[in-house]
Amino acid sequence: MEFLKQLAASAAAFFSTVIEFAPKFLPGVQLTLELAFFSILFGMIIGLFVTMMKLSRFKFLRKCMNIYIAIIRGTPLLLQLYFIFYGLPSIGLMINSFPSAVIGLALHNGAYISEIFRGAIESIDYGQGEAARSLGMTKWQATRRVILPQAFKRSVPALGNQFIIAVKDSSLASVITITETMLLARQFGAATFNVFPIYFTAGVYYLIITMGLTKILARIELNLKINER
Amino acid sequence: MIKIKNLHKYFGELEVLKGINLEIEESEVVCLIGSSGSGKSTLLRCINFLETKTEGEIFIDGERVTKKEINRIRQKVGMVFQRFNLFPHMTVLQNVIEGPITVKKMPPKEAERIGLELLDKVNLSDKANEYPAMLSGGQQQRVAIARSLAMEPKVILFDEPTSALDPELVGEVLGVMKDLAKEGRTMVIVTHEMGFAREVADRIVFIHEGLIAEEGSPEEIFETPQHERLKSFLGQIIG
Repeated sequence: MEFLKQLAASAAAFFSTVIEFAPKFLPGVQLTLELAFFSILFGMIIGLFVTMMKLSRFKFLRKCMNIYIAIIRGTPLLLQLYFIFYGLPSIGLMINSFPSAVIGLALHNGAYISEIFRGAIESIDYGQGEAARSLGMTKWQATRRVILPQAFKRSVPALGNQFIIAVKDSSLASVITITETMLLARQFGAATFNVFPIYFTAGVYYLIITMGLTKILARIELNLKINER
Repeated sequence: MIKIKNLHKYFGELEVLKGINLEIEESEVVCLIGSSGSGKSTLLRCINFLETKTEGEIFIDGERVTKKEINRIRQKVGMVFQRFNLFPHMTVLQNVIEGPITVKKMPPKEAERIGLELLDKVNLSDKANEYPAMLSGGQQQRVAIARSLAMEPKVILFDEPTSALDPELVGEVLGVMKDLAKEGRTMVIVTHEMGFAREVADRIVFIHEGLIAEEGSPEEIFETPQHERLKSFLGQIIG
């Protein structure tokens, strides 16, 4: 009996802390959303650009893009963010924390997204390109009219995965002084020593964002499947 | 219409075509036959540069085919594939008018009018707004034929157009091809349908190990085959 009472009391304390701190997280959640949005948006632009460069017939461009991808995939995102925010100023390149974070995250996502596009393009049956070319299309026309629309559709599931990773990776921006959800959680935890309900609340916010994103992506996938068997 | 001079093609070390010489006249229907691996599909694909020839020359409509001019020359050469290769993200009508609009810069209205006429010709005008995935193999292949016709090619190449079809769907595709032959279209057909070849072809070319082993009218090829290989090939196929 005593045990149950104690459990009820600690549960009540837990939830009252959650309810107390939930609204205080909102500015951080907003920053998380902004970071995720911009890093996905610019990541997509970079990814598309890199894919196009890799399809070009200039070997030099293709090489450059491969080096970019090798560097981004081969080093930790944490290091990349430190490098941009703390490292670049030493060669006179000072970038504020928010743009630094967006640049770092977007470059990071761009490399992965370009690889997603490459995989999708390579998965398209070569007969599609042959059919287009045999109508007299140039390589570029065949790519733009026939290959890319199909490849884009096929890349949606993997892109969705990358978007969810982007949301979670935005928490690393906390190390370069951006008070997004994760940094707020650390600060609230340090101030109250009541870390359990506070990290719980932060976790719930991340779950809400990623689950919402999953729903949206599922709907997009469904709409794109309409003319398939 | 097509003139092939001393065509060689290597895949790495393997010599697939060993010096093909072939001329095809306007309005002629030529069927290429031979066992698999003989090089007949490769020959067809070399004609419109889907495979790059290793050696030799190809002339289409009097023009030498070169890599630089290939996009322009390909407009004169239609191609129908074994596995149809329709564009799955476009409707049937969009598939047919894609070439005229993108390559010939034809106004969409005019292209649509022509596209619907062509679909009518292959008996598929009721499917204009369906996606290829909704169609049977035979219907898809007829759309593919309409798509190649939309470019008003001087010659159409068929690469085993009925080999991927269920037996009961072969007839409808061969029917459309017979109609085209009657119109006087120049056609080069790689096929295993000997009955069709016999009925439609003006000339039959038997390819064996990368060379033309024998050619002649359907009567000559089927009634009085000379080459030992052709005899055994016909024996296997006709049984």
